Amino acid sequence: MIRIENVSKDLGEFKLDDVTLHINKGEYFVILGPTGAGKTILIETIAGIYRPNIGRIFLNGIDVTDIPPKDRSISMVYQDYMLFPHLTVEKNIEFGLHNKRISSSETKAKMNEIAELLGVSHLLNRYPGTLSGGEQQRIAIARAVVIEPKVLLLDEPLSALDTRTTERLRDELERIHRLKATTTIHVTHSFEEAFSLGDRIAVMGSGQIIQVGAPDDVFRKPNSKFIADFVGVENLFHGKSVVHDGISKVHTDGIYMVSSTLKSGNVSVSIRPEDILISKNEIDSSARNVFSGTIVEVKNMGPLVRLVVDVGVPFVVALTKLSYEDMELACDTRVYIAFKASSTHLF
Amino acid sequence: MIKESTLKIFTITITLFLTIFIISLVACILTHTNQHILLSSIASREIQFAIKLSLFTSFISTLMCIMVSIPASYALVRYNFFGKTMINTIVDLPLALPPLVAGVGLLLLFGTTSFGTWLADIGLTFVFTPLGIIIAQFTVNISFMLRIMRSTFEGISPRYEYVAQTLGCTPTQAFLRTTLPMSKNGLLAGGIITWSKGIGEFGAALMVAGATRMKTETLPISLYLNMSCGDLDLAMSAAIILIIISIISLYIFERRGDVVHLY
Repeated sequence: MIRIENVSKDLGEFKLDDVTLHINKGEYFVILGPTGAGKTILIETIAGIYRPNIGRIFLNGIDVTDIPPKDRSISMVYQDYMLFPHLTVEKNIEFGLHNKRISSSETKAKMNEIAELLGVSHLLNRYPGTLSGGEQQRIAIARAVVIEPKVLLLDEPLSALDTRTTERLRDELERIHRLKATTTIHVTHSFEEAFSLGDRIAVMGSGQIIQVGAPDDVFRKPNSKFIADFVGVENLFHGKSVVHDGISKVHTDGIYMVSSTLKSGNVSVSIRPEDILISKNEIDSSARNVFSGTIVEVKNMGPLVRLVVDVGVPFVVALTKLSYEDMELACDTRVYIAFKASSTHLF
Repeated sequence: MIKESTLKIFTITITLFLTIFIISLVACILTHTNQHILLSSIASREIQFAIKLSLFTSFISTLMCIMVSIPASYALVRYNFFGKTMINTIVDLPLALPPLVAGVGLLLLFGTTSFGTWLADIGLTFVFTPLGIIIAQFTVNISFMLRIMRSTFEGISPRYEYVAQTLGCTPTQAFLRTTLPMSKNGLLAGGIITWSKGIGEFGAALMVAGATRMKTETLPISLYLNMSCGDLDLAMSAAIILIIISIISLYIFERRGDVVHLY
């Protein structure tokens, strides 16, 4: 669908260094990286705002490197919305439709349909300056989606919003993607967004693509210290959650966990390695999540030791070197692990 | 009770003196004539001519300033090109240049070079004509307009245009549909201040167009000519019209110019 081949671009402050990516049709592709990694110029280059110094970009097999943005059918949403402040919400959404040869009744119909889809129909006569961040971002998404682009580019679309709005809009992005199946490239520095939304993830640092893969692979098997440090999160799982009696019960890869985060449906789960207790004997604690398994790997990292315990799924457990030695743990030791429902974070 | 600080008293006193000084200037002009004489002076052929010529020349020169400053300031803000820093300084030069000097330059350019002769041959004579007034106003004011438009465009993220381009606009359409309408406050403020400065332009216009009664006689020129020959009534009416124009334009600028950082 999109093939980016050996693209380099130097803008002084930011740069792309030999970026090669293949993104499949209908895929939700997330580019994850810290600030200054060159994520924004990558998607601006895909959109055609910048011409690469070296390299080619293909869209559906056609070389679009020299095609101007307007003819690429790629639309873009920025972190700070970039709604046109001199136009009403309605005119903002219709902006791209006016460049297409369609009748005004069709324009209105499409505009209304997308406004409905994003729940902004009641705002059509307002000006962007009077709206909340979440509302503005919905409109920016509506404006980008309404022209039915081949590719939708999202540049940190959730980063300027508060936590609650972020979560709601993240679900919305998922829903729109399910509905429209538009190939989407989502740029973010949040591993939560990457993990919960991405079909595949590319991790970027200083203008280069460092690792590409399914979220599970990237987070569980980082191929470099940069990714391990940047991602910094182990014990990530996908699961299905059911809320019952004020607690979430999550089913993931054959094990059940409980969480005090109340969220149902498809969820992502994370547990910090240092929040997990480990013992050779059955653990008698108030913790709601107790599993037994075998230590499959020991990573010595200075004052802290990290163990990988396989209980059906691999859990990373962190403990001090002192307790590690006291407990006489080693590979193949049978152990119990336990963690609280409040340590089980759902997102 | 805490005593008012000396600093506060001192600074406020200075401000009050300055205000009184400015009010006195205006009051002196306003009280030097009476309503009857003023109205009949304004109705005179000479002042009528000066008003019309001033309005006409300043309108045209403001339009020219707008037409040139929009593309020029856009280029200086949005693009990188060879010599940009130097060009930025050069186009600001008329701001610092005394208008008389700019006028001499114009006189030489249009009066003595083959370029000037060529222009005269195709019917554009600048020396000692109203056309000269227009070009003088344009020269002195273009840097002002340019500065205002530059800071206006700088305040508008280029990403608006990027988004517009992905939504099917050419770069020109994107500019015309986003950045340009979004700069309307800057345009209005800049246009008003340029127009009001154009109406008051004297030095450069005097050099290029001269001070010929009923030919190149704008309001400031009329003020100068009538002061020189002692016709105070006509001089005062010209001055009062200029004051009214200044106050109106200052008022509009203050209301619209909040988006613009002039200095």
